[in-house]
Amino acid sequence: MKTILKYAPAPTTGRRYWRSMDELSDTPEFKDWLQREFPAGASEMVDEQSRRSFLKIMSASFALAGLGLAGAGCRRPVENLEPFGQQPKDYVFGEPEYFATAMPTRNGAIPLVVKSYEGRPVKIEGNSLYPGSNGSTDRYAQASILNLYDPDRAREFKHDGKVVSREDALSFLDELSKKFTANEGEGLAFLAESNTSPSRARLQKIIAAKFPKSKWFTYDAVDSGIHQRAATQAFGQSVRPVFHFDKAKVILSLDSDFLGGEDDVHNHIRKFAAGRKASAGMNRLYAVESLFTLTGAGADHRLRIQAKAIREIVSLFAQQCGASGGAGGIGGGVDVKLTQDWITACAKDLVAAGKDALVVAGHRQPLEVHLFAHAINSALGAIGNTVTLLPVTENSNLDLKDLDSSATDTLIIVGGNPAYDLNWSPKSKTVVRLGYYADETAEKSNWNFAGAHYLESWSDAVTSDGTIVPVQPLIQPLFNGLQELEFLARFAGEGRALSYEIVRDTFGGSDEAWKKFLFNGFATNSVVQPVNATFVVEQTPKIDVSVTNVPSLEVIFYRDAKVDDGRFANNGWMQELPDPITKMTWDNAVLISRKTARELGVANGDIVEISLNGKTVTGPIWTQPGMADYSLGLALGYGRERAGRVGNGVGFNAYKIFSGKYIETGATIKKTGGTYTLACTQHHWSMEGRPAVREANLEEFLKEPKFAEEAFHGIEPPVTKSLYPNPLDEAKKTALHQWGMSIDLNACVGCGTCVIACQSENNIPIVGKDQVLRGREMHWLRIDRYFTADPKKKNNPHFYDFKADENQTDENQQFAEWIDDVQAVNQPMPCQMCETAPCESVCPVNATVHDQEGLNVMAYNRCIGTRYCSNNCPYKVRRFNFLDYNKRPLSELKGTMYSTTLTHSTGEGWVDGGTNKEWDLFRWMKNPNSGMRTEDEWDLIKLSKNPDVTVRMRGVMEKCTYCTQRIEQAKISQKAKAGASDDVRLTQAAGNIPKTACQQACPAGAIVFGDVSDANSDVSQLKALPQNYSVLGDLLTKPRTTYLARIRNPNPAMPDYHEPFSTEEYENASLTKKGNS
Amino acid sequence: MSAIFPKWTNWLPLAVLVGAGLAGAGVAVGVTIYLTPKYYRVGYQPTQPVPFSHKIHAGQLGLDCRYCHSEVDKSWVANIPSASTCMNCHNQVLKEDPRLALVRASATNNTPIPWVQIHITPDYVYFNHSVHVTRGISCVECHGRVDQMDQVHQEKSLSMSFCLDCHRDPAAHIRPTDKVTDLGWKWDSDPIKAEQMQQTYGAKFVHDWKVESLQSCSACHR
Repeated sequence: MKTILKYAPAPTTGRRYWRSMDELSDTPEFKDWLQREFPAGASEMVDEQSRRSFLKIMSASFALAGLGLAGAGCRRPVENLEPFGQQPKDYVFGEPEYFATAMPTRNGAIPLVVKSYEGRPVKIEGNSLYPGSNGSTDRYAQASILNLYDPDRAREFKHDGKVVSREDALSFLDELSKKFTANEGEGLAFLAESNTSPSRARLQKIIAAKFPKSKWFTYDAVDSGIHQRAATQAFGQSVRPVFHFDKAKVILSLDSDFLGGEDDVHNHIRKFAAGRKASAGMNRLYAVESLFTLTGAGADHRLRIQAKAIREIVSLFAQQCGASGGAGGIGGGVDVKLTQDWITACAKDLVAAGKDALVVAGHRQPLEVHLFAHAINSALGAIGNTVTLLPVTENSNLDLKDLDSSATDTLIIVGGNPAYDLNWSPKSKTVVRLGYYADETAEKSNWNFAGAHYLESWSDAVTSDGTIVPVQPLIQPLFNGLQELEFLARFAGEGRALSYEIVRDTFGGSDEAWKKFLFNGFATNSVVQPVNATFVVEQTPKIDVSVTNVPSLEVIFYRDAKVDDGRFANNGWMQELPDPITKMTWDNAVLISRKTARELGVANGDIVEISLNGKTVTGPIWTQPGMADYSLGLALGYGRERAGRVGNGVGFNAYKIFSGKYIETGATIKKTGGTYTLACTQHHWSMEGRPAVREANLEEFLKEPKFAEEAFHGIEPPVTKSLYPNPLDEAKKTALHQWGMSIDLNACVGCGTCVIACQSENNIPIVGKDQVLRGREMHWLRIDRYFTADPKKKNNPHFYDFKADENQTDENQQFAEWIDDVQAVNQPMPCQMCETAPCESVCPVNATVHDQEGLNVMAYNRCIGTRYCSNNCPYKVRRFNFLDYNKRPLSELKGTMYSTTLTHSTGEGWVDGGTNKEWDLFRWMKNPNSGMRTEDEWDLIKLSKNPDVTVRMRGVMEKCTYCTQRIEQAKISQKAKAGASDDVRLTQAAGNIPKTACQQACPAGAIVFGDVSDANSDVSQLKALPQNYSVLGDLLTKPRTTYLARIRNPNPAMPDYHEPFSTEEYENASLTKKGNS
Repeated sequence: MSAIFPKWTNWLPLAVLVGAGLAGAGVAVGVTIYLTPKYYRVGYQPTQPVPFSHKIHAGQLGLDCRYCHSEVDKSWVANIPSASTCMNCHNQVLKEDPRLALVRASATNNTPIPWVQIHITPDYVYFNHSVHVTRGISCVECHGRVDQMDQVHQEKSLSMSFCLDCHRDPAAHIRPTDKVTDLGWKWDSDPIKAEQMQQTYGAKFVHDWKVESLQSCSACHR
């Protein structure tokens, strides 16, 4: 009998919220939806192919299978082992090799060590040899390896849409070079993305000398060159600022998302975390911002104000910090008194910190704000201490407006994607383009050269501290792509045109030094020494605007945390990574504050049209807690049309109304009437009264250091003795190690690097938006982001008793006033490795059991997919592979679950609309291993897999393993080294404790893994700290992963001084519970 | 009224029951015997592209296993030697032998010789050669007396229970590390005494070298 579900009836009075018109009118269709497990037709076949043809194929395949059984099918397939003809020197088959290289970024580089198996790079890690580095990376570097194996990368050289050979394309380049040598480069222009390669700069000079009339334009869709421009102007010499967050005691961020959206974020996070150790001397962060960013989430005090108003209030800071400045004011429709007090108290704190203070302005802010920031730093004496200035050579900065007039004959585009992010259209006779993707720009270019990935190229780069690092190739260009340096050298007519020779020539020096350079991954002693410079007072801008506190709508364009400026749009890992703040996957949205949404009458998912300067763009609304009123946040980088199978049509393209200014006013917004479903992985906007995250202010922590365990005893009972013996007690006596993990919530900023590192290490597939909406994302490690709010703003007295409160749905919370000024907490949540794991006792087939070292292991080949374990896991860290995601074609990422037709296009069919189709069944019979994936996808995707980790199939439960493959590898190599001796234990003293992928990647060093049976190990010492606690410890699961509580350091003199909201929430929750019972 | 069913049909249910029981037992026995690696793997002896004889090289000539399988103590896998390794000797010995044509071609052109793999573990098993051979587990434990095989065949089942037999009782199999590649080595020529010595010294090695008797899933499955 069908179960008739009762759905919560909407309240009959007051405002009603609904998902569809059907729900509003309570139609039979809507009721049917509620009652069926799957929507009508989902479990039936409604394909364009008829059932009859399906049966025909099936019978044919059974006949074939029968033949196979009778014939060759019964035999074991013959597998061949093919050794080398000539053994390569020092190569051990089966063991990984590591090479030092670097990922070039716009204004720097990230030094890397890349792991390679049998000549294919599989995992990117930071170079821990690099001075001052903790071997961490950012999430872009972690994800960049997937771009290497992207089936949609440019594979061919094309001329006017026709494929030409590499040789023909290169000889065309030679001819072009000859032609422009004759006329000295008349009518020739280059358009390139900025990078720091000294070799490219050298080639650029050669080109400029050879083609004197040519022009070189550099551009970035997301430009953070303002830091250098402002510093150069402020200090009267060519310099760029380097911020030392580790030395700063009081930091003021003026719309600077230095922990999230700025350049060189992994260094900033590392330094910031270093200064934020929970102790009396920890730093304090003030953030003034409009978008809710990771910096705002990590701040002790946050001022929510429109981005354009920051330009006006910054002089108030300057005045009170002793720097000269014009009149300012408070605008943007905020509480003037509160803001005034906020600024006064904050400025006092800055002055008190003196040279240990640091003011940073964000790249979206105009020049004046940056100059004021330098003025304040200078007045406080911070220059030379928390801000140092590195000398730079000024690049000639040509205005892009002159691009079309310069490139009358030929435009050469190197990298970038101007047709997408610059609204560029060709005006030249010939456009030659070297690009990694066959993207929007490729479509408009005459000649397309397939580019090479940085892991396939020789190059060099300069990091943010001025160190020169090599970019070494790990693999030959997969599709014979052309490297940037070779492209430029060929055009310049250089004799030594191999990229290796170019880089070698640039480096100079002895062969020994060169080898050392490549081995270390950086040139020793190449750090640039900071210069002494003083602030030029005349540069203080005068802001004499008459500020009116009347709100007007502003639009903020920001660099996306996942797809950057669009360059990672076809990277499935990035698309599926929940945004650090919104937790949204596979989309961008129009971020808006609760109040503004109310005034405009829009709700989550409503599609709106935004008009700006006569251009329009449409996108869905998302109410963002903590967002400034009358600001709209638009993430750049989405809405790609020719990104590839993954990125096409994901989100909307904010570049359509972007004109190079990141903050624009005068936008209008109107509802189009449509709605759109957004795949957000963490809807619930409050802690629901559960003390998963524990926080305290610094004073409280110093008074009561063990608050994390003790202060919460009112809510959860103190851990008592279990009736049953701990099953690990016996094993603990003999096992060599006991593994454990400590996660420092005080260090974690929630950037998401660990999630991508885990995905890369553990062969975790992507599932697509539709599956995310069904809660089937596969991330073994998730970052829970909780918003907590001032309980006084919550009107409902029983708010925390969430079971009784039907109003606390996500639909309702988006309009609750409490979400205006929220605090956010991030909590990475991998498998907790409970010693008494609830998942184990319910598995009917013993597929998940403990090993002697405390790991809760998963034997995939035993799992039969009952999912009882997942049901019984209080931390919800188990993931089930529903649809064989590793073998699902990329074309199905966007469809619904059962959208599969029986035929699929082959090869590049996705481009031509899928005219070349092939029966899935035939494809499967040809190659049963690849599933329904097209050949090009399969060939590349399988290269990207880590051979140390099983690629799990459908119907199998999986979860975090503490990177058991790394543990085993470390143990095995130690045992092999020990031989006939007892030196088999991994110890911290010997430095052979393995690092998990998440720990290795974490810029903040928030995750520490190690042996808890060794009292001297880092992890044991962290677990002995007073602020250590277990999540849901009252369940007596005895998790091996424990957390260090977060310590906030707010200033008691501030008007918004507060206890952590979450603490108040628990207290209220326990009161409510007691009151009810 | 005559009986519709003759009298013997009374025995029919019993006959059916007994028959079904026998058939069931037959299937059970069949599955236990035939659907196990012991039956369908042991004895696998494919024809190799080059008629290489371990009996001559490892047995008669006494070459150490690690002369050719040189990375067995460093890597997950015991490497198949490259043709250049063969040519170290065969550029002097049997220079013109037609049986070595493929090897010479491989060494010259750097094209691989397609050897047929005999010992295969499933993809979800992560067996590491180096940790076994460096810790006193001889090649012979899994591969048998390869030094007596003209053409190599699979001797042991390499099933999970085969692995576990040893993992449950390493003392019965461990030997001095310098005797690992000596496939014919015995503690003593007297089998009874050899057995006793294995017990005594095996237990001593397991204790002295801290050899773990790893039986949890994570030891082999990732």
